[in-house]
Amino acid sequence: MTDESRPDDAKDARQREHLSRRGLFAMGAGGLAVGALAGVGGTFAAQALTHDDQGDSVDASLSYPFYGGGNQAGIRTEPQRHCVYMTFDIDPGSTLTDLESLFARWSAGIAQVMQGKPVGQVQPSRPGAVGQDTGEAVDLGPNALTVTLGIGPDVFDERFGLASKKPSLLKHLPALPSDTLQKSLTGGDLSLQACAEDPQVAYHAIRDLARMGRGTVSTRWTVMGFGRASAGQNQTTPRNLMGFKDGTRNIRSDDEFRDFVWLNDDAGWMSGGTYQVARKIQMNIEIWDADAVGDQQTVFGRHKDDGAPLSGTKEFDAPNFHKMAHGEPAIAPNAHIALAAHENNKGVKILRRSYNYTDGINQYGQLDAGLMFIAYMNDPAHFVTLQTRLGSYDRLNEYIAHIGSAVFAVPPAPESGHFIAEKLFA
Amino acid sequence: MQPSSRRRLSGAATAATILSVALLLAGCASDAGAAKQSTSGAAQVKITMTNDGSKDVCAIDHPSAAAGPITFTVENKSATGITEVELQSDQRIIGEKENLAPGLKPVSFTLTLGGGKYTVYCPGAGEENQTFTVTGKAAAPKTGSVQTLLNDGSKQYAGYVDDQIVGLVQGVGTLKAAIDSGDVAAAKKAYGQARPFYERIESDVDGFVLPGTKPNDNAGNLDYLIDMRASNLDDSVGWHGFHAIERDLFQANAITDGTKQLATELQTNVTTLAGLAKKLNYKPEDLANGAAGLLEEVQSEKIKGEEEAFSHIDLVDFAANVEGSQQAFEYLKPGLTKIDATLTKQISTQYDKVNALLDTYRDPSAIGGYVTYTPALKASDANKLSQAVQALQDPLSRLAEKVATAQ
Repeated sequence: MTDESRPDDAKDARQREHLSRRGLFAMGAGGLAVGALAGVGGTFAAQALTHDDQGDSVDASLSYPFYGGGNQAGIRTEPQRHCVYMTFDIDPGSTLTDLESLFARWSAGIAQVMQGKPVGQVQPSRPGAVGQDTGEAVDLGPNALTVTLGIGPDVFDERFGLASKKPSLLKHLPALPSDTLQKSLTGGDLSLQACAEDPQVAYHAIRDLARMGRGTVSTRWTVMGFGRASAGQNQTTPRNLMGFKDGTRNIRSDDEFRDFVWLNDDAGWMSGGTYQVARKIQMNIEIWDADAVGDQQTVFGRHKDDGAPLSGTKEFDAPNFHKMAHGEPAIAPNAHIALAAHENNKGVKILRRSYNYTDGINQYGQLDAGLMFIAYMNDPAHFVTLQTRLGSYDRLNEYIAHIGSAVFAVPPAPESGHFIAEKLFA
Repeated sequence: MQPSSRRRLSGAATAATILSVALLLAGCASDAGAAKQSTSGAAQVKITMTNDGSKDVCAIDHPSAAAGPITFTVENKSATGITEVELQSDQRIIGEKENLAPGLKPVSFTLTLGGGKYTVYCPGAGEENQTFTVTGKAAAPKTGSVQTLLNDGSKQYAGYVDDQIVGLVQGVGTLKAAIDSGDVAAAKKAYGQARPFYERIESDVDGFVLPGTKPNDNAGNLDYLIDMRASNLDDSVGWHGFHAIERDLFQANAITDGTKQLATELQTNVTTLAGLAKKLNYKPEDLANGAAGLLEEVQSEKIKGEEEAFSHIDLVDFAANVEGSQQAFEYLKPGLTKIDATLTKQISTQYDKVNALLDTYRDPSAIGGYVTYTPALKASDANKLSQAVQALQDPLSRLAEKVATAQ
């Protein structure tokens, strides 16, 4: 840390950034890329370097657009490696105008950071001035940052006169079997999900947006996800902290997104939006680690190494819940994948976009870690359906606890010159 | 300090920006030139922020106007990097709009300007500074009405500090008398009554060094001798002042000869402080910085319960810090309202919120008038208290700059 970095070194720093990563590849000019472009160029380059996963390569200059209408980024976007999730409460005394100003400022700020730009001056010209941007993401590049805004059910209570605009399916989740929710990790009026390939870029986004919101909103709870635990369309399936592939059967196709994630034109100002369910799931790491692999596989219903269902031989083999082995079902009826399968839930599917997290060490000296489960769906009742079964019967419940929970409506992205959820204030 | 990369880049981009502005103006030649008066009599000037694909642009539709009332209407159409605009005269802010963002309705401000050159400052734009010319008679040299208001307020604030010093000396006298009489209960009560006087003005008086001692020698540092906590002790100097007395009264529940010695020392030191404080003069930015500094004290010591580790009267100090901070702000307020009415109102609102929250902890029967800040109360309420103070601290941190650049 002896050589003070000069502005001219920005390019060098970018290159060092590339070199420091495994399986590097450089994008073409500009770095203003969309998923398709990144997918085509990236898959080929990455295959040459690693065996099969373009997600193993990182391009610090990759940026996604914030404006343009349609769906917000950070939902179908191929999951980045890191994610900071935070919920906020609107302060007592804040008005509808304060909320409008906040959404407009947040939108502009999100547009800036998603391009890798500061939200204002880092070093103001007047020495007595306070910098608007805190500065820690300067020169790091956009790093595929996406920031996704959610609006909670209580925003539509009597406080702001927005009851008539409440998204039709938005309401608090009911108490669910096995819930061990902590009040300090539950709920919130607004949520921000900031995911990026560089954790400092994601953290900077949340930090500066929280700062922008002060006086109107206060922080409620947050989780720092350090590793992606769900796969996008072109990514290999990553593993959760239990060591198992997670999200093999995640939603991928256009048809699935249309049928299970996006809200259609009937949804009014929310069309093109979706719903977000967030659950902080603590894992009893030490107990799980002491469990024999055979039992672990029975709990999940999959093989640990390649992720193949216990009824098959390859990861993407469709699980056969009727197949028998040694006189018993190959996949136990109360195995995690059996209870979560759409075949056993009237066809219901949700998009999972989870991250592994750690909170250090708990009061008993045990590792405090788990899964920050974030899911998107066109009806939060779909999560309720799934979790009602999982919470009641899942063999995994012995090793996990749902300690945090929240639900939000996620509006569509704004067009340029507008801000997110602008129609709420029209 | 190195210049930021963005500012260096903006220099390179200037030529292109000027070109695009020139094209913009050429494209609407009939509009260029001096701004026209509206029916209300004020000349109308529009400042429009857009993004041209590579950078944010702050465009002014008329580069000049005749002397007199001029209304500036500001609209951010698509410039996500610009959140404020200022009109400056000789580096002084004379008008501004903040919280700008694409999608919000246009906002305006009206100023009566004399002839001369002004600067429209758009922080974050490709070209941050642009000249705006007012033709006609120059305004009469200002007697500096805002500056006068700020200076008057600062002088009056000096009187407030003097009153607190008088209270501090009296309060410490009462505390010493109770300690000398050996009455622990009376001494505890007197401790709680004396503390707020120091906490209200701490940011003004924490820099004194006794004559003849070096600045880095704690033996001559009055703030150390009066207010040092156990966590930051200098072994070579030892423990003196309020908190050493607090330890005896609230932890040992006893008055010893040592306690009496501490009280005598404390009385000597606050008397010395009173003499030195009379010589203090305050500039407006001192008040602004002091107001912010006292809130930093709240966040760094009181909310954590570290200030009053034995008596747990942290909320008494908390309330005193807030009161002292607010007093400094109130004395600046007549001038501040002219500089930035929106920010002034925002800060007032946040003070009201903090005070309303503090009111819920009042307990007339408790030492100092507030409930004891127990570990249990800290666990349940620290978050709420901290966030309320933070919401005040953020706008308040911008005051010093405003005051320093006032016309």
